[in-house]
Amino acid sequence: MQKIEEVKVSVLTGKTKLVAGVVQEALDGGAAPMDILEAMTMAMDVVGDKFSKGEIFVPEMLIAAKAMSKGVDVLKPLLAVSGAPSLGACVIGTVQGDLHDIGKNLVAMMMESAGFTLVDLGVDVSADKFIQAVKDNQDVKLVALSALLSTTMPALGETVAGFKESGISGIKIMVGGAPVTQEFADQIGADAYAPDAGAAVAKAKELVAAL
Amino acid sequence: MLTIRQNLLETIKGGNPDRFVNQYEFLDIILEAPLRTRPAPGGSAVSEWGITYSWPEGQLGPFPVHDDEHKVLKDITKWEETVKIPPLDFPDERWAAAIEHAESVDREDKFVTVFFASGTFEMTHMLMGMEDAMMALYEEPEHMHGLINALTDYEIAYAKQIIERIKPDALFHHDDWGSQNSSFMSPAMFEEFFVEPYKRVYGFWKDNGIELIVHHSDSYAANLVPHMIDMGIDIWQGVMTTNNTPELIKKYGGQISFMGELDSGPLDHQDWDPKVIAEHVERACTTCGKHYFIPCLTQGLGISSFPGVYDEASKAINEMSKKMFK
Repeated sequence: MQKIEEVKVSVLTGKTKLVAGVVQEALDGGAAPMDILEAMTMAMDVVGDKFSKGEIFVPEMLIAAKAMSKGVDVLKPLLAVSGAPSLGACVIGTVQGDLHDIGKNLVAMMMESAGFTLVDLGVDVSADKFIQAVKDNQDVKLVALSALLSTTMPALGETVAGFKESGISGIKIMVGGAPVTQEFADQIGADAYAPDAGAAVAKAKELVAAL
Repeated sequence: MLTIRQNLLETIKGGNPDRFVNQYEFLDIILEAPLRTRPAPGGSAVSEWGITYSWPEGQLGPFPVHDDEHKVLKDITKWEETVKIPPLDFPDERWAAAIEHAESVDREDKFVTVFFASGTFEMTHMLMGMEDAMMALYEEPEHMHGLINALTDYEIAYAKQIIERIKPDALFHHDDWGSQNSSFMSPAMFEEFFVEPYKRVYGFWKDNGIELIVHHSDSYAANLVPHMIDMGIDIWQGVMTTNNTPELIKKYGGQISFMGELDSGPLDHQDWDPKVIAEHVERACTTCGKHYFIPCLTQGLGISSFPGVYDEASKAINEMSKKMFK
C-alpha cells in the first residue's frame, strides 16, 4: 500500500528517472498491476485539476505524463495478460491549415493517462482524414479537435459538419484551442468545449460515460 | 501638441500626455536589418539555425517543423555538438537598407527600433520542440542553462553589431511566455532559467544606448510582471485582456507600462466589424486610463492579419483621445 502511494507521488512530482523502479518495487511487494495503474491515473487526475486551477504549469504536466508513461511501460506486459480496461479510443488532431501542436499534445497525453486509447492524427488534419480515422479504428468514442488560430476556427465547424453528414453515430466531438469558446462550440454543433487539458479529460470522461 | 516621442515618454512616466499613444506609432522598426530567414507565405525555409519553418497557404505565419526528420536538437545533453550558432559577419551591403532607413527617421519624433526575434525561450522550443524544451527544464537543467546562455551570447553579439551600425533608440523584442490564460511555466521556474540571462542581455542593450525596451508576449503573463520589471522591460506589448490590465497598471504603473488590451481573436478576423473594434477600444481606454497604458492590437508588429483592422483600431483610438483628453 505504501509503495502504491509512492508510485502516485512519483507521477505527481514527475520523477521520470525513478518511477519505473518504484513501480517494480510495488509489484515485487505484491501490489496488483491494476491497482498501480489506478494510482497513477488518480495522480494524473490531480495533475489535470491543478493545471486547470493554475496551480501547476505546462512543464509539470508534461513531466508527470512522462513519468506515468514510464510507469505504464513496466506494467504493460502484465496488463496485457490481465486485460487493462480502456475508456475507448479518442481520435485527436489539429484541424486543417493549423500546425500548432502543443495544446493538442497536452490533451493527448492527459487523455492517454486517463485510460483512453489515442489515435493522434497530428496537425493540419482534414475533415475527411478525421472521419476516415473513426471508420478505421475500433471502439472510437471521442473525437477531439484543436485549433489555435482564428483563421482555422472555420475548419473546426467544417469538420463537425463533416461528421454530421457522414452519418457516423456513437461518438462525441470535443473542441478546444485558444480562440475557441463555449459559444463557438455550441454554434458549430460540437458536443463539448474544454478550455484546457485538465478540463478536457474531465469532460471526455463525462461524455463517454453518457454514451 | 507633444511630439509622438514626448507623448510616449509622458505616458510611461506618468506625466502629462496630451493623447493616447496610438499603437506602434512611436516605434520606427528597422526590419531591413539582417537577422533571420523566414519562408514566404505558402512556402518553407530553413533558418540560419537549421530550423525548418513552414508557412501554410492562407495562414497567418510560419511554424517550425518538429518531426523526427526536421527537429534540430533531439538530445539536449548534446546541444554543444548539435546547435550551430550562426555567424554574424554580415557584409556591409546587407546593412545598407537598414542604415538608410534609420537615417531617414526623425529621432525627435520616433524611436529608431531594433527588431529581435526569436527570444531565448522561443529559441529553445524552436530548436527542440515545445515538449522536449519544457521537460528538459526539469530533467536536464544544467544543459538548459548552457543552451540559454549560448543563445544570450548570440543576442549580445548581434546587439553589438546593430548598435554600431544604426545606433538604435529602442528594442522591440519577441519572446512569447504564455498562452491566453496562463504563463507556460511557473514564475519560479521562469526566474531560475530566464531572468538572469534576460537581465544580462537587456542590460547590455541599455548600457549601449537603448532607451526603451519593448517586450512582446501576446499572452497571459501577469504573474511574470515583477520579473519583467527586474529584467529592465519598459513596455510589455501584447498584454491580453485575460491579464486584468487595469489592476496591473494600479499595481505596477511607474515601473512598467502595458501595451495591448485589444485581443486579436475577437477583432482581427475575416468578418471584422468597426463597431466591435470601437467598443473594445473604448473599454480598453476607459478601464486602463491615460498613464502607463498604450492601446494596441496584441499583434507583434504594427499590422493586422486582415486588411483594415489595424487602421480601424487607430481611428478608434484617436476618437477616444478626443473624448478623454479634452
